[in-house]
This record gives sequence, C-alpha cells and structure tokens, in this order.
Amino acid sequence: MMNATISVVETINLRKTYMLGKVPVNALQGVNLKVEKGDFIAILGPSGSGKSTLLNMIGALDKPTEGKVFIEGVDVSTLNDNELADLRRRIGFVFQFFNLIPRLTAKGNVELTMAILGLGKSERRKRAEELLETVGLKERANHKPAELSGGERQRVAIARALANNPKFLLMDEPTGNIDSKTANEVIELVKRLNEEKGVTIIIVTHDQQITSQTKRTVQMLDGLIIKEEVN
Amino acid sequence: MRKLRAGLTTLGVVIGIAAIVALLSISQGLQDSITEQLQTGFATNTLIVSTGGGFGMGAGAMTATESDFKLLVNHTQIIDEIEDVDMSAAVIQKPGCYIRSGERELKLTVVGVNFTKYANIYSGTFVAEGEEIPLNAENETVVVGKRVSDPWDNGTLFCDVNENVEIKWTNITSIPIYPYFISRNETYTGRVAAVLKEIGGFGIGPSDFSVYIPTSQAQSFFGTDECDTIIVKLENDDEATIESVSEAIDEAFSGQVSVTSSTAVLDIMSSVFSTVELFLAGIAAISLLVAGIGIMNIMIVSLMERTREIGILKALGMKSRTVLSIFLSEAGIVGLMGAVIGIASGWGLAHVVARVFSGGGGFMPAGNRAAAAGGMTINPVLTPTVFLGAFAFGVIVSVIFALYPAWRASRLKPVDALRYE
Repeated sequence: MMNATISVVETINLRKTYMLGKVPVNALQGVNLKVEKGDFIAILGPSGSGKSTLLNMIGALDKPTEGKVFIEGVDVSTLNDNELADLRRRIGFVFQFFNLIPRLTAKGNVELTMAILGLGKSERRKRAEELLETVGLKERANHKPAELSGGERQRVAIARALANNPKFLLMDEPTGNIDSKTANEVIELVKRLNEEKGVTIIIVTHDQQITSQTKRTVQMLDGLIIKEEVN
Repeated sequence: MRKLRAGLTTLGVVIGIAAIVALLSISQGLQDSITEQLQTGFATNTLIVSTGGGFGMGAGAMTATESDFKLLVNHTQIIDEIEDVDMSAAVIQKPGCYIRSGERELKLTVVGVNFTKYANIYSGTFVAEGEEIPLNAENETVVVGKRVSDPWDNGTLFCDVNENVEIKWTNITSIPIYPYFISRNETYTGRVAAVLKEIGGFGIGPSDFSVYIPTSQAQSFFGTDECDTIIVKLENDDEATIESVSEAIDEAFSGQVSVTSSTAVLDIMSSVFSTVELFLAGIAAISLLVAGIGIMNIMIVSLMERTREIGILKALGMKSRTVLSIFLSEAGIVGLMGAVIGIASGWGLAHVVARVFSGGGGFMPAGNRAAAAGGMTINPVLTPTVFLGAFAFGVIVSVIFALYPAWRASRLKPVDALRYE
C-alpha cells in the first residue's frame, strides 16, 4: 500500500501566484513538504521567500494556484466553503500579530473557538480555564487583550489554538512581536506541548532560539524549499 | 462611538417607522371621523345647483362660468316642477359678515335659507340643540351654528337662545366708469331662536360656523334676489334618479348651471383622501428608505472595521453562513428596536398632531361651502395591520439593506481579511 501511514500534512508541487497591484508575484514555485504526526518543524527563510504563503495553504486559509495540499490524506482543493470551515476548526493557528478579538477577555477568546465548534458553555469554560493554566495565564483569564503584554497575548493565542484539539499547530513568527524573555517562555511552552502532548507543530520563524529546539528545519528561498535538515 | 453609531442607525429606523405610524394612524382617525360625519352630514338624496363650478367637478362646470346667468331664489319653482324632485331650497350665502353680541364680534358667513325646507332636506344636521328651529320663521329670527354660540368650545358662550345679535355687512357697490366704490354698512338685528347641534367639520350644507336667517330676510337685507346655490331634495337616492334629475335641471337652465350630487362630492372627497394618504405614505416610505440606506452605510463601515475580526473568526472555522447571519441579525435587532421605539413615538406623535389640529380649530370662520376642517376632532387609530405592518417593515427594510454588506462579509476570504489593516 502506498499510504501505510498517512502524513498529517503533505504538499505536492505547490504553486501560488498572486497579484501585487498589477505585478504577478510567484510566492510559491513548487513546494513539496511532508509533515508526520508528532513533528516539530521550523520553516526558515528571508521575507518574501514564501513561508507565510505556505503556512496559509497548509492552514486552509488560502487556495493554491497549482498543486495540492493533503491534510490527513484529504485533498483540500476538493473541499467546499463549509468543509473548509470544518477543517479549519481542527487546525490551530497562531498568528504573528496574535489576532485576538479585542472585545473578549482572554478566557472569552479561548472559548470562542470552542463555541464555533459547538461545545456547551460549561464545557467551554472548564476547558478554557485548563488551557489558560497550561500556558500560565490562569490569573489573567478575565483580562482583555489590551490589558495583557505581548507575551501574554501570544500565550492566549496558543491556548486558543489548542482549544479544539487540533490536528496540528501552525505558528507564524510567534516570537516576532515579543521580547526575548517572554519569547523564551513561549518557546518552552511550545516545546513542552510537542514533547509531552505530542502536538504536531509547524513554525515559521526567524528566531534562532526556536530553530535550535525543533526536530526539523526547512529552508525556503524564492518560493522553493532549498534545504531540509533533521536536528 | 460604537454605541453612538448604533443609536443613530436605530434613530433612522425610528424616524421612518414613527412617520409611517403617525401618518397612517392620523389618516385612519381622520377617515373614521369622516365616515362618522358622512353618516349624518351628507344627505345622499340631494343635488346642489350652482352657477359656477361650485365643486370643481360638477357637470357643465367649465361652460357655465363665463355667462351673465344668475341663479335666483325663485328658480326653485322651475326645479320643483321636475319629476322625482321632492323639494328645493335656495341658499343665499354672504361670507365676511360680522355678528355682534354685547361687546364681542365674530366674522363669519351669513346664510339665508328657508328653515322649514332646510330642516327637511338636512334632517340629520340642521337640527337644534334644545329649542326647536322655528318652522314658520318670523322676521328677525336667527339660527346659529354650534361654534357661533360657543366659539371657543369651552362653555364661554358668544350668544345663546333668546339673545339679540346684530349682523353687519358692508355693501360695496362699484360705479361703472369711475374707479370708485360706494360702501354702506347694513345692520340687521335678530333674536337667536335656536342653536344647532354640533355638526363637525365635514359635510355639505349646514355648518357649525354659520348664522342662518330666513330667505326673505336675507333677500331684503342683502338686497338681492340672487342665490348662491339651490339644494334639491330628491324622492330617492337611486343613481338613475340622480342622473335624470341632474340632466333635467341642466336642460331647464340651458346648461348654465352646474349640478353636483352629494354622492359625487363624497366620491371626490374620498378620492382626495386616498390620494393624500398615498402621498403621506410615500413620504414615510422615503424616510424609511433613507433609514435603510443609513443602515446599509453603517453596516458597510462596520464590515470594513471588522474585516480583520471576520478573518479571525473564519480562520478559526466560522462558516460563511454564520458570518452572514451575525450581520443580518445585527441589522434585524436594529430594525426591531427601531420599529418598537418608532411605533411608540409615532403613536405619541399622532396624538400630539391630532391635539394641535383639534385645538387650533377653536374658532375658524370658514366658509361652509363644502367642508371645513376646523374644529374637527381626530382620534388617531392604530389598526393591527398598521402596527404589525410597521413592525415587519422596520425589520424587513433593515435586513434587506444589510443583505449586501452581510453577503460581502460572508464572502471575505480569511487570508485577505487577516491581511486587512
């Protein structure tokens, strides 16, 4: 059998061209990547190399111009709008700029994902509290994002991303907007999640601190993977 | 700011709905009060003969105006000869007369009629309150309308039964050739024999604002044999009778008079009212349209403002139709609140307007030719149809105008929305 073990994520000859004004930009020019369960991968590369575009494709936030993305063996391009939404509920996304809902408290933000999934209120509350404890924000649960530091916000975002037991965690420069001390805390947390809970993690980053912790690193340049290393 | 904006958006709907509710409940109240008037005020078995186009739409109105023809009091004899005519009464009207009682003076219309015939023809409205109308009127007998006796509608009487009143009018005669006029004040003293029961604003014939004196007195007092109209009472109010008599009268006067039936006046009035109502509803609809555009505008602003938030929600797996329904239900809530507040304030507004209308009509010496709206009491009526209609309209308009922004929001691609600054 070809698929004895199904990869969590597999991209085949992935290409993406988008228009920047009137200029076509070839963000991805044929990316082949396989991510297995329990992986901890760092994607590196200068800005404009296509890291974030690749992450958006894997996160089912964007559609490729050519090529295919398989998530647990399912071809994402065959999914309709509704099915894509269902898929996204099982993908944990952590953004560079946190992307928390400013009106909601830390707990509210974590509960939101579960509410979208359709969990009951008491279950949501209980789980949100547990998750915030995991990321070390138990005491800050009822604060709004504006009242939290960058590191705290990023940890809320990680708690949110974990809320629905995602198939994998996608992180777009999670330490890009926080100081190095809090970045360390975040990295420790992420590493622990991977080691203790077996969460599959894909991180786009510039941060050397992170790349030294991951199991694999993938180097990108001009929309192509130029180097893959196992640490 | 967010709350203020939501409040202003709701205010738009409130104003639109309030306008609709106020206008429709007032016009419904007006119609009810007219309908009530019609039951007493309009003698449907009467025709009105006049020289000019008295009611504008009477047959032959356009052709009769330019001749020297004068309608005379004794023309009733010609009309009485016509088949199916029960009786006819000449009406001499003199607007702009003054009536004095003690120290006070009112300006109003004096009407010369045959009391017996008039009471017979307008048995529903030419009815005295208390004292009977003297049928074989003696000289110097005066019958006054309710608003002449009690002009301020508060019990302060201007004149009462058995009191003497003085009627004055200025007789202006123009002398040909010279641009001069001879004016002479004529005075007539009469005793109030009866006060009419309150008639209300609408109806043909008797009016609350007129003073009635016998025909012969009017002829000598005003020095004329001419009359303004002749009221014809028919044997019945069949359409065929109305038509045949109208034609016969027209023929008898060689087409120099115009004949208007009460039913025709009724038709004209109701068509005027439905036009007015349509017009008002149109204005109200426009204000609601403006409100709708306001909602759309706000929703689009809100969409732009929340693009990033929508992107986050979609990235977290919210479905497009959920985004759609969030936007639509927000608009629905604005519409719902707007409708509730709008109906309440429209209802209040209707009462304020109705009171102003009624209060302003304390004494309006209006000519009683066809209809005088002064002194009329309007009680706004909110029918269940208007209530539910306004409610549904507010919500539906809000939701319809939110459809486009909501659709746009639901179509946002998460990756674009997240990139949006």
